[in-house]
Amino acid sequence: MRRLAQGECDDGKPTKFTPPPKPVIIDKTQSEASLRKFLSPEFIPPRQRINPLKFSIERKDMIQRRKVLNIPEFYVGSVLAVTMADPHASGKTNRFMGICIQRGGHGLGATFVLRNIIDGQGVEICYEMYSPRLQQLEVLKLEKRLDNNLMYLRDALPEYSTVNLDMKPVPHSVTGDVPVNKTRVRMRPKPWSKRWERPKYNVQGIRFDLCLSPEKLEHAQTWAEPWREYDMLKEYDTTALEERILKEVQTEMSK
Amino acid sequence: MRLNIQMLISHGRVARKMGLGPESRINMLRNILTGLVRHERIETTRGRADEVRFYAEKLIDYAKKGDTDEKAMKMANFWLTEKDLIPKLFKVLAPRFETQPKAYTRMARIPNRENLDKAAMAVLEYKGNPFPPLQTAKRDNELTLINQLLKGYREERAQQAAAKVEA
Repeated sequence: MRRLAQGECDDGKPTKFTPPPKPVIIDKTQSEASLRKFLSPEFIPPRQRINPLKFSIERKDMIQRRKVLNIPEFYVGSVLAVTMADPHASGKTNRFMGICIQRGGHGLGATFVLRNIIDGQGVEICYEMYSPRLQQLEVLKLEKRLDNNLMYLRDALPEYSTVNLDMKPVPHSVTGDVPVNKTRVRMRPKPWSKRWERPKYNVQGIRFDLCLSPEKLEHAQTWAEPWREYDMLKEYDTTALEERILKEVQTEMSK
Repeated sequence: MRLNIQMLISHGRVARKMGLGPESRINMLRNILTGLVRHERIETTRGRADEVRFYAEKLIDYAKKGDTDEKAMKMANFWLTEKDLIPKLFKVLAPRFETQPKAYTRMARIPNRENLDKAAMAVLEYKGNPFPPLQTAKRDNELTLINQLLKGYREERAQQAAAKVEA
């Protein structure tokens, strides 16, 4: 009895080649776009005496760039990894990861600052979101913090700003609320770069009871301006504007 | 320092400097606003009347939300130093301006004060007050040909905008 060679069935005729089943990759981290209703803050125009046509043209350009480069949803306090084109680096790209401490700018000039501590040296890099040099933005950990601006991490103990360079992406849910990290940070001894205890910075995420005496905290409250919340001139209500812009951006992105 | 044109341009600042500082400015505006709500027609300097006008109209916008609204009550409590005027604001002034969307106040200029400072004065009033009418600056005669044509053009544009919104 002759052994069957590969590619022959019982009849002696060559079998039809059946390709092996494709491996199904379930990328749990960030393949799907977020289903939350999130409008990136740089889309909201500031309060200015500029013709709104400028903002609508800028929005078109921003949407065009977003169709090429996926800019994910992230907040101040999330951990991001950014690959940027660099002509002087071997491999022509460099990768940096860190905690986002600030999101600034409006329109195409929107920026975000990532902070990390590398070899004991604190490093902050300010990236422009719509710069053509950016090649990939990954959100390694999506979370919010108690403040909108984490610049006080410069004066906090280094353990709060270090991000492990081989960190793996943490899976986050696509729907539902973004987790809020309620850590309150311990500070180095004074002097600090800014007087964070003053009410104008409105910092919730520092443990003042460990570094300042109650008299000093009371003295800092003398700079509180209690009339500010009642001053109608300073109010800028963006809810209607935000809804309109969110609808416009969603329709344009799905095209 | 360099005396340049930039010093004359406000660069987006809309609040006048009044009194001894921001707190003093707000307190002064509070007093004038309380007087306006009590008497419905007051006489002050032109700058102060112009500043109070914005706050008076915003206060009416808040009052229109009703006195059950927390924020509206907090605002009224802050801005009216005489607390017997809070019910007057919510029960008399807010219903009076229910139909109007925007302009609740009227400002008219007055001859300068007789004191040594000869300050430019103005009268600020809420519309619909019981006093005899003020003489404000006269608008152009609406019955001239050009004004009639412009009125027709404006109405046509409004009609087209309404039709666009419906469609």
